[in-house]
Amino acid sequence: MQDEPKQVEILQGTLNMMILQALQQGSANGYEIAKFIEHRSNDLLQVEHGSLYPALRRLEANGFVKAEWRVSQTNRSARYYTLAPAGKRQAVIEHSRWRVLVRAITRVMKPA
Amino acid sequence: MFSRIRAWFRRSDRLPEEMQQHLEMLREERLARGATEDAADRFARAKLGNRRAIEETVYEMRPLYFFDAGARHLWLAVRTILRNKGSYLAAAGILALGVGMSVAIFSLVDAVLLRPLPFPRQESILVIWKVDPLAGQHVEELAYPELRDIQQNIHGLEYAAVMPTSLYGYAKVLQRGKEAPVQIESTPVSHDFFRVLGVAPALGRNFTDTDERVGAAPVVMLSDRAWREQLGADRKIVGQQIRMNGQGYTVIGVMPAGTEFPLGAGLWVPLGIDERVVTRRGATFLQAIIRLKPGIPRSRISGEVAALFRRLAAEHPDVYTRSQMGVVTPLADYLTGSARVHLWIMLAASVLLLAAANISSGNLLLSRTLARRHEIATRLALGAGRGQIIALLGAEGALVALIALVAGVGVAMSAIRVLVRLAPEDIPRLTNAALDPDSFWFAASSAALAAFACTVIPAWAAARMPLESALREGGVRLSLSGRANRTRNVFIVVQAAVTLMLLATAALFVLSYRSMMSAGTGFANRKAVTMNLQLHGPGLFSAQAFTLESRRQFYGTLLSRVRATPGMTAAAAVLLRPLEGTVGWDVPYEFEFQTGGRDGRVLPKVNFEVVTPDYFRTLGIALLEGRDFNEHDSATSEPVVVISRSLAERVRRAGRSALGSRIRLGSGARWNKVVGVASDARYRSIAQVGEDIYASYLQAPQPTNYVVVSGIQPAAQLSALVRARMAELDPNQAIAGVATMGELIDRNAARHRFNLILLLWFGVCAAILASSGIYSVIAETMTARQREIAVRIALGAGKGRLVRDMLSGTMFLVVSGECVGAFAIALLMGADSTLLYGVSARDPRVLGLVAGFLFVVSFGAAFWPAWNAAGRDPQASLRAN
Repeated sequence: MQDEPKQVEILQGTLNMMILQALQQGSANGYEIAKFIEHRSNDLLQVEHGSLYPALRRLEANGFVKAEWRVSQTNRSARYYTLAPAGKRQAVIEHSRWRVLVRAITRVMKPA
Repeated sequence: MFSRIRAWFRRSDRLPEEMQQHLEMLREERLARGATEDAADRFARAKLGNRRAIEETVYEMRPLYFFDAGARHLWLAVRTILRNKGSYLAAAGILALGVGMSVAIFSLVDAVLLRPLPFPRQESILVIWKVDPLAGQHVEELAYPELRDIQQNIHGLEYAAVMPTSLYGYAKVLQRGKEAPVQIESTPVSHDFFRVLGVAPALGRNFTDTDERVGAAPVVMLSDRAWREQLGADRKIVGQQIRMNGQGYTVIGVMPAGTEFPLGAGLWVPLGIDERVVTRRGATFLQAIIRLKPGIPRSRISGEVAALFRRLAAEHPDVYTRSQMGVVTPLADYLTGSARVHLWIMLAASVLLLAAANISSGNLLLSRTLARRHEIATRLALGAGRGQIIALLGAEGALVALIALVAGVGVAMSAIRVLVRLAPEDIPRLTNAALDPDSFWFAASSAALAAFACTVIPAWAAARMPLESALREGGVRLSLSGRANRTRNVFIVVQAAVTLMLLATAALFVLSYRSMMSAGTGFANRKAVTMNLQLHGPGLFSAQAFTLESRRQFYGTLLSRVRATPGMTAAAAVLLRPLEGTVGWDVPYEFEFQTGGRDGRVLPKVNFEVVTPDYFRTLGIALLEGRDFNEHDSATSEPVVVISRSLAERVRRAGRSALGSRIRLGSGARWNKVVGVASDARYRSIAQVGEDIYASYLQAPQPTNYVVVSGIQPAAQLSALVRARMAELDPNQAIAGVATMGELIDRNAARHRFNLILLLWFGVCAAILASSGIYSVIAETMTARQREIAVRIALGAGKGRLVRDMLSGTMFLVVSGECVGAFAIALLMGADSTLLYGVSARDPRVLGLVAGFLFVVSFGAAFWPAWNAAGRDPQASLRAN
């Protein structure tokens, strides 16, 4: 078996799902969300931190997350995102869709 | 201002601030792990990514993004335009001129011809009459009983009415106490006439069916003009009596201003008050006018009318011929009638002018965009999106269009004002001409489209070009290659063709007019005074109050007394004076040698005049052969006629002598001997040569309604003398429409002249547009090829040769365009020989002259910038690049 790659790009369309997952734990700012994804994936997933913001804005526009400016633990003012009820439902939907997708792809890729 | 609005958009979002904080957190994280300030900074920036790009992405997601971007592009466009004032203002100016002029002309045409009368839902007003194709398409009139036929058999009518086909013969003389009586044109109409037109009286009440009964008390409806001019605008006039033709009429109302239908009508009286009119199917002198209910198509009415007239012909074979057919015409068409050809020429000319303007300014914008390929390539290389490039250039095009529209309104308004002042007075309703919004929007949107297309399409093409080559070549040769260049060449050809067509049309009409005027109208005595003096008595047909005998006696006595008055040199009377509108009497004729006496042919028709002796001498119509009428050509002697030269020519071509040949006016009519040949005269229009037959007033039943005199005193005194002699004979008669022959000719010519002025104006505008178009194209080309020119000059190329090289291509295109235009004109105008007089649209001299003129103008426009470019210091040009 070949060596596994040290880092991978984020699959298209999965960023929203991961952001919603990150916010399941409670509200967080952009930096914390990026760190959450990197830590949880053992730094396998590399996020270009800036790319979170268009996604966050889109989630906000869809009413999945709410945002407010607050002071962080390090005494910085930052914008904190919280999961809205619609976001919680969306997280469940995206998660189950993801599970189905992974199962399907795994079957396809299984050596015959 | 725009930047502040943009800042507001961004601040409300605070995304930059949020990302700045993010950046700080990343930096602290690194610093905490012991990285240097520098390394931490670099890491944080790399980790976060291109903040600017992210901002753009987020920004473009905003719903108001479009407005903001639009404003941004517009601002940039304003700056670009201010930097290159010359070309953009030229493009806008050309568009403004084209839009303004074409809209002005269209507005005039619209006011005069398209929307001639202020009637609501005018398109649902139709006029009905009949033609008999077997009798040579000539008009058959309706009789009063047919009004009921129409009302009962045609479905979908709101109202129907009948009116006489001509204004002629219904005038009334208004007696005004001590003041001299005046004659007012009058039209008898059936009582629903104004309901058909859709206009209610401004004062008083409308006609009702009780007004229109045999034996009903006489009532009259006044026009606004008659009410103001003859009755002092008396608001209490309604219900009062006025005396006309020796009979008392009760005024029932006054129509609002502008309700002059038929044109020239001063008052209206009920039609169905005469037993003979109401009951007799043979009394045909009317046409029907109907108003349709909304939503009824005209085609259905035409079908029903055709069926009705077929059935009537079967039911009354004694009155109607089987070959007669109904004609249904919209009111507007009925009124424009003969003016239609000129209308189309004018409309075509204004569309051509608009097209020329669009092409010219499009060409200019196209050249600008091409010259900017280098700039576009630079913008693309610096990361601008293709959409942004297209939007930017589109904004420039839109701005040019906007300037053109605003300026175009100004041009149109002032052109309308000038043209109205230049126009002859007798063109009806011209003074009402105002900017027509519909045509303005049409012209404006076509101009906007042109400006837009000529910026966006090349921008789109430029945005797809390979970047490296565009940058490397520095836009030097790029602008002179490819499809865009071919488009521009096509533009030049089309524009030359269009301009040549406009100029040639104007030139042809000028020449036609000149030869028309120099050929002479046939009336040599321009000082002869003509006036309407018809006898009026009580009743519907005022002339019927007089017997044939008493009428002849009246005119005979009047004329002999006038001739005996000191200061008079000649006096005569005629059925219808020359150039009295386009109306006239047409009679069918045949010569004896043509028939051998057989009946039943369909006969050609010619103009018919009934005259007294001395008529030819009074108006200066030369008598070429034979003799004038005299008092011995009476009811009891042999019937005689005088014919015009063209008609006599026909006899001569048949190998016979005109004098002494016999002619009759209609199959089965009595034979008349030709005793004289008069020179040709233009009775209907100075532009129309016809054939005429004259009969003696003592031998023809028609009345001599116009008196013509000549004398040594001014016109006003001569007409006063006639009035005085007339009052001695009958104080209740009046004289109307006094005009010298010269005035009648000038009035008729005024229309032609006005058309000419318009066409010339078109031609001049087109030439300006063409030359400015060519100038700008060459100027742009020169700028784009500056480097190449500089190199060639540096290598020792002569200035003359350089200029020749630059121009030969363009001039070849101009000449090709001229050929196309000349061919089109010869084809279009040459097809209708009645349009021009004394000049042919295929005359190579005219076309050659116009083409030469256009060539010289184009050459001048092209030469100037080329010569300038060739004269520039090559070193300076090369360094600047």
